[in-house]
Amino acid sequence: MNDDLKRYSRQILFAPIGEAGQERLRASRVLLCGCGALGTVIAETLTRAGVGHLRIVDRDFVDLSNLQRQVLFDELDVEERLPKVIAASQKLKAINHQVTLEPIVADIDHTNILEFARGVDLILDGTDNFEIRFLINDASLETGIPWIYAGCLGSHGQFMTIFPNQSACLRCLMDQVPDPGTTQTCDTAGILGPTVSILASFQCVEALKILTGHADEIEPMLTIIDIWQTTFRRMSLADLRDRADCPACQHGERLWLSGRAGSQTTVLCGRNAVQVSPSERKTLDLDQLAERLATAGEIQANPFLLRFRLTNSETELTIFRDGRAIVQGTDDAAVAKGLYARYVGN
Amino acid sequence: MDFQVKMFARARDLADADSVTVALSGSCTIADLRRALSEQYPALQPVMTNLLIAVDNQYATDEMPIAPQAEIACFPPVSGG
Repeated sequence: MNDDLKRYSRQILFAPIGEAGQERLRASRVLLCGCGALGTVIAETLTRAGVGHLRIVDRDFVDLSNLQRQVLFDELDVEERLPKVIAASQKLKAINHQVTLEPIVADIDHTNILEFARGVDLILDGTDNFEIRFLINDASLETGIPWIYAGCLGSHGQFMTIFPNQSACLRCLMDQVPDPGTTQTCDTAGILGPTVSILASFQCVEALKILTGHADEIEPMLTIIDIWQTTFRRMSLADLRDRADCPACQHGERLWLSGRAGSQTTVLCGRNAVQVSPSERKTLDLDQLAERLATAGEIQANPFLLRFRLTNSETELTIFRDGRAIVQGTDDAAVAKGLYARYVGN
Repeated sequence: MDFQVKMFARARDLADADSVTVALSGSCTIADLRRALSEQYPALQPVMTNLLIAVDNQYATDEMPIAPQAEIACFPPVSGG
């Protein structure tokens, strides 16, 4: 065995991979969108497994509340407020120098996603909101690059692999991004570390199948797991693409990639604040939102808006019934969008 | 006709039950089931629009009719990560 391959001997012994599969893995390039909970587990697993080139894009800094589940970060990263992709690459470099790492600190949006996806064989979803997943879905359909979705929250999660223009896409499954305020987020409902590592590990298994030449072993399924209830269910999406008459994968609509959908941000000059507006006006149930946010900070509400101050922070979100929010305490549009996704939802 | 509907993840939390019984009269499609679930279990409304419904482990679209003995299961999309 080639010296470079020795470190992978146990993986090569696994018959479906073998030396040929390992070589294919080494020749492959992956885009990882997001380097948080799912993202750090994916990055570590693929780096140890010996993927050739790993491009990681994330807009955020390491925060103390990340350490419970984001496996590549430590207290020093928090102290230094390092960008997540930078802190992650430092650890990954020490784990496997053979992998070419390309950390990029950026907010993924419709203007840059095709550039990030250029030349990769696979896109992995390590993000935390549906708006960006619909953008990834559009980019995948446009480029023909497969992608692997996973979402997790509390003790449950789900994942599916999308082969664009062959299997059902995210939009076949859901015609629209769930309304702002109706989905829970990890910042309001919590998350267990094992939920993340199990879901991310399943994404990595799917990735290994695709990158070592076993894509045909992936079934068109949405898999739904609850680790607290210990339940595991699979829902077949076999003929969904034919049945769904999907605007994106059957009719070529690219709402997110064209920038027609997706939340818009405006920096409010001199106010240290950013306004985030969903592209379609929605009506929020502010009472329901207030109830959800009560565990994460201080709430003040009137019939028109809800003011939410994060616990131990100077950051304040003023959320309007039409879905707009003004994020006070930052002039960075990416930070404001992150807070909006985290606390208001998608 | 009564249908047993199994609840998973947040749908289970909102319904506060592993499964619920839904009474349908007249036509029995997935769209009818959604309407009946909303009416009979208002707690599920926050997840209803995007609720994924499986019939005998197959993704079910709104126009699909439900057979009397079918196993029905509900999963809301999960956003976090």
